[in-house]
Amino acid sequence: MSIIRIIILSLFIFTPSQADTIYNLIKIPNLEIYEINTSNKLRYLYAKQPFTIGIDNNINCFNSEKKILDKKYKIIQKNLNKYNQKFLKKINLKYIVLCEDLSISKINTAGIPDNIMKTLILDIKFDEKYFERVIHHEVFHIINDSFKDIFNEKVWSNFNVKNFKYAECSTCTDKLGLDTYSNTEGFFTEYSQSTASEDMAEVFSHLMTGSDLSNDDPILNKKIQFIKTNLLKIDENFIL
Amino acid sequence: MIKKIKASRSEKIIFVFIILLAIFSFGSFILIKDKCFFVKDYDPKKIKFDNPKNIAVLNVPCGNVIIELYPKVSPNGVKRFITLVKSKAYDDVAFHRVIKDTLVQAGDLEFGKKVNINYGKIGTGKSGLGTINSEVDAPFDFDKGSVALARTQKYNTEDSQFFIVLRDEPLYETEYTPIGKVIYGLEALEKIKYLDKSQYVLRPDFINSIRMLVN
Repeated sequence: MSIIRIIILSLFIFTPSQADTIYNLIKIPNLEIYEINTSNKLRYLYAKQPFTIGIDNNINCFNSEKKILDKKYKIIQKNLNKYNQKFLKKINLKYIVLCEDLSISKINTAGIPDNIMKTLILDIKFDEKYFERVIHHEVFHIINDSFKDIFNEKVWSNFNVKNFKYAECSTCTDKLGLDTYSNTEGFFTEYSQSTASEDMAEVFSHLMTGSDLSNDDPILNKKIQFIKTNLLKIDENFIL
Repeated sequence: MIKKIKASRSEKIIFVFIILLAIFSFGSFILIKDKCFFVKDYDPKKIKFDNPKNIAVLNVPCGNVIIELYPKVSPNGVKRFITLVKSKAYDDVAFHRVIKDTLVQAGDLEFGKKVNINYGKIGTGKSGLGTINSEVDAPFDFDKGSVALARTQKYNTEDSQFFIVLRDEPLYETEYTPIGKVIYGLEALEKIKYLDKSQYVLRPDFINSIRMLVN
């Protein structure tokens, strides 16, 4: 009995070598370095233990098995390598936190971007079907947060048909579907219709994953053009 | 005639034990009282440097810490540091933030001076020279002994505060402006006063002086 108690206690007492440094930098506890020698200088961190952060401790995420981490890291790194160091610096993204069952106020979410802390938390167990697209979707939120004036929501909303209105927030609606429409009518997915920023993120993520964008949808074409033009304002060498 | 009395074996053992105990007690007393006992004090005049112009000598309670500055890595950061060193602004300034075996931080010229230390505000003070831009793009290995300028959560807020890492901190590359590396005397920094429960030190150790080797 006492041995079991010691083992359990040691799990809590165990202090990873870099956890305090990481906490000082990005204010997330229980993280360790996964990989920092990357071509675009992104730092990949993983949850060694579950962590809780945010106002009223409303953000939770859990540690993963190494096997899952290794598998998902390859996918994440492949996708994030599409952004070079210069661009990442401009948008203020440096730390990628890998964990699972990420939730905010008990609502599961694929990622939580924080451009102030230069951090993107990713749920590595998010639906595999959309996983790669979701990575870029969350990166767009970092871009958008860093360049709010460029990605003007009013201008964006005017691309839609007159009667259309977005919801007040992305969680204030049940439009959560992530399947790409075959008949787009101004939106790539159901989730696009939640808010303007989610709509932009959906267009961006479709562009980044090279989805077939050839269509006769004039609204969507305007939106695609808007995203492309504004990305070039941030980085004239940005390649989609 | 006085008869010689031979000490028995057990008496000899007790005698040796008392002697050893006395040596141990005396030694411990010295060691406890003098935390710098085993710290080597380096004399920069006895060391040959390739580029003496870039050598700064930080004198702390346990001796000299010799820092090589890297103006090519961060020209503005090093320039600011040298400006403050030459004006003797760092003299008697506290090591206000110390994490055991991790880092020591000093350089709050406003609230960290020995004569008017302000524990409520220490770490937030300014030099009066304004902030400078971060220089974090050049590759730099933040290994043990690296010296860098401290900043707030935002970039481009470096001023007078600096820190020295006591272990490798690879995550600090591209985060903080490196200005140099300790090449001799890191042990003296490992003896800087720290607290177990807080990074911020009450009744801290102070910098005695920092001088450029060549003026």
